[in-house]
Amino acid sequence: MLKGLQSKLTDIVVNGDLDHRIPGNLNISFAYVEGESLMMGIKNLAVSSGSACTSASLEPSYVLRALGVEEEMAHTSLRIGLGRFTTEHEVDTAVDELVHHVNKLREMSPLWEMAQEGIDIKSIEWAAH
Amino acid sequence: MTYSAKLIDHYENPRNIGSFDKNSEEVGTGLVGAPACGDVMKLQIRVGADGLIEDAKFKTFGCGSAIASSSLVTEWVKGKTLDEAGTIKNTDIARHLALPPVKIHCSVLAEDAIKAAIADYRAKMIKKDEPAAAAE
Repeated sequence: MLKGLQSKLTDIVVNGDLDHRIPGNLNISFAYVEGESLMMGIKNLAVSSGSACTSASLEPSYVLRALGVEEEMAHTSLRIGLGRFTTEHEVDTAVDELVHHVNKLREMSPLWEMAQEGIDIKSIEWAAH
Repeated sequence: MTYSAKLIDHYENPRNIGSFDKNSEEVGTGLVGAPACGDVMKLQIRVGADGLIEDAKFKTFGCGSAIASSSLVTEWVKGKTLDEAGTIKNTDIARHLALPPVKIHCSVLAEDAIKAAIADYRAKMIKKDEPAAAAE
């Protein structure tokens, strides 16, 4: 699944160690796209945003923060779990669905737009409410 | 999160996505929120010679409620004067979309975004008049 996503999307980061993790678990940050909005789009997939324990909360996951996920990426993560019954075909369709919606949401994202223009998002002083 | 049909409609079919040239004299740009908070809205208005907002565009990084709130606002400001657009309240947005209480802040941000776009346009108008004022 990871190879599929990496071959079709730029600016995605796997959170946590790739080797020392439960097989079948992926936690990925999709830069410039907010996790909940992505979840709303992928209607055929059941995933959680942040980490499993924080999906229902608005706060970015303390687990991800402890793993060193940066502030700008904290809200862009999805936790994806594959089970023993998941088929290869399902993985392929999941990749396609994710890629489709990430691209759609990036088109709508002011952060993606800024990144494309070469603006360093970390350097901006945000007027947070 | 259970969302209203109107909210889902704005998420599935967002209105007025895109950008104007922010350097254009006719355009006011509001950029509010922060990536660390999970919500960033960019709202732009294009004002006609008659002082009415003739077009609006938005881009949003945020949850479904944030996207819907900003999409809705671009619909509401069209045809309004700057003063009228400035009276749009987050409570109107929240009520129209039936935002869950935990998402009310998205409507507040959308209200901030309009006000920021209006302020930006007005600041440009003042800058435009300054050389003339200095010459007097």
